[in-house]
Amino acid sequence: MTSISRRRFAVGIAAAGPVALLASALFAGPAAAQVTITVNGSGGGLAQTITRIYEEPFTKETGIKVRATAPVSLPKLKAMVESGNVEWDMTELGGSDVIEATKHGWLQPVDWKVVDPDGKLPDIAKRPNAMVTSSFSTVLAYRTDKFPAGKGPKNWADFWNVKAFPGPRALQNSPVGNLEFALLADGVAPDKLYPLDVERAFKKLDQIKDKVTVWWTTGAQHVQLLVDGEVVMTSVWNGRITPLRREGRPVAITYGGGSLQLSYWGIPKGAKHPKEAMLYMRTRLDPEKGERFVSEVPYPGFVPGLIERLKPEVARDLPIHPDNVAMQFRFDPEWWASQRAPLTERWNAWLLQ
Amino acid sequence: MSRRRSFQLALLLGPAVALVGLLFLFPLFGVMKQSLFSPGFTLESFAKLVNSPVAAIVMRRTFVLALTVTALCCVLGYPLAYFLATMSKRWRAFFLYLILLPFWISVLIRTYTWMVLLGREGLVNNALMGLGITDGPVQMLFTGFAVHLAMVQILLPIVILTCFASMVEIDPQLVRAARTLGATPFKAFARVFFPMSIGGAAAGAIICFILSLGFYVTPALLGGRRNIMLANLIDFEVHQTLNWSFASALALVLLAATLVLLGLFRLVAPERRLHG
Repeated sequence: MTSISRRRFAVGIAAAGPVALLASALFAGPAAAQVTITVNGSGGGLAQTITRIYEEPFTKETGIKVRATAPVSLPKLKAMVESGNVEWDMTELGGSDVIEATKHGWLQPVDWKVVDPDGKLPDIAKRPNAMVTSSFSTVLAYRTDKFPAGKGPKNWADFWNVKAFPGPRALQNSPVGNLEFALLADGVAPDKLYPLDVERAFKKLDQIKDKVTVWWTTGAQHVQLLVDGEVVMTSVWNGRITPLRREGRPVAITYGGGSLQLSYWGIPKGAKHPKEAMLYMRTRLDPEKGERFVSEVPYPGFVPGLIERLKPEVARDLPIHPDNVAMQFRFDPEWWASQRAPLTERWNAWLLQ
Repeated sequence: MSRRRSFQLALLLGPAVALVGLLFLFPLFGVMKQSLFSPGFTLESFAKLVNSPVAAIVMRRTFVLALTVTALCCVLGYPLAYFLATMSKRWRAFFLYLILLPFWISVLIRTYTWMVLLGREGLVNNALMGLGITDGPVQMLFTGFAVHLAMVQILLPIVILTCFASMVEIDPQLVRAARTLGATPFKAFARVFFPMSIGGAAAGAIICFILSLGFYVTPALLGGRRNIMLANLIDFEVHQTLNWSFASALALVLLAATLVLLGLFRLVAPERRLHG
């Protein structure tokens, strides 16, 4: 740990003070030290950063231990709640996951008086039963060494243009996001996407189908495909590319036509330690921790006062930077929540043909 | 059977029966229930099995793939087993070891190894381009070719070993007798050796076919969009569409196919090997 980060660490502890006070008021006595909450997330390198920045200071302050599990899985949440054997005290969820989970009653309400007593969080970050922890984008990534310098693909129209940008491609094995990309490539304006013209999207996807050699299912997979040179471009989750660039790999992303999405934390119905989970949820409102987190992983939440603290070069790389927001479209989880099942069925049949 | 003997049997079999009952039959019952109740009794999932174009295509492709892999394994495995059965004991141990070595390595690792070999920037493509045989990389990974190749490599030892086990039990004197009675080498093989070894080969083929039907990781990692097998579709229904009753119905199709084949196995497998 460098001296700077040690100083920041001290500031972080000071900032977490109110949480500690509240925690000690709620859990006075030696029993408090025994509680361990299980928080489910996406795992990988990201989990180590979260442990260092959020979990360890939280345990030091409150005596509540945090056990991290992975991966994010709606089916697991369903199985836990329906069987009554709820292992998670809190879990990460995607936008349409939250809608689906709410519909089925798999989440319990968040007590905003505990999590955000001063009402600092903007409304966009709050749902009755979930809090936005981060924002991310599904964007177009490519190998910089496969195209002349500065002449890489810039948007989904370029992704579809196999003459100007030759080479095998990859996309996610899901209609979610891909239908939007196809419509953007076909010239639909980003603010006129929803409700999606499904017929037009599949027609456009027909054109690229045979140039897509792999239909990926996990974030680790799309990273590997790019690194191994199996494909020259693919859709990716923006944060997965940042560490590759730091390692000096010849990969880049463009926010052109990116799908801006939100990621949430929710507490399963029947969770064993909902109060402790909400205290931990609250640590995500700390702008100092948020700054350190975002400097390592470009997945910012709506932490009040966060953007003002960031270095310009860090801010420019974030999906919510105004320049990047202007190039992306706002993914609509509400539209997908009702269409997902039939469209996934159609997607599967389309892929097999 | 005396009372004492049946008590001994119960004692010996008890733990295994309890384990299978608890960890296999009980969850299996849950799967059956899931396919029929949602939450009330319904045949919806089984109707979908018949109506869904995806399920029909995937089932057909799964059976075709399992069949071609099994055929390839038999064509390659039978001569190899014959070669093993007829060589000297010392060399036989050496070659058996070579066959078993990859067999002991995890399927996942062997699948990943194929990815390293067959990739666009992999060993095979680099060699092809280095030798000037091809100008650019050949797309081998994420194709049906890669799935066939890896599955044959993974399942071949099973076919070889089953064929071999039945071949070493054939008395070599019989073939020699046929030769002294005037049969050509081919005729001695075709009329004497082959009919006696066919039971073992058929048993090997059925085991190979059953294992192929349930393959999951190899087609998932090495195949393209068309190489989806039943197990992959079940995974998709569980994780993506959350349609667990349909996933259960698909799983039962796989189970039924396996049971039918096991019945067939009992018919063709020589009695003595089933009972030790």
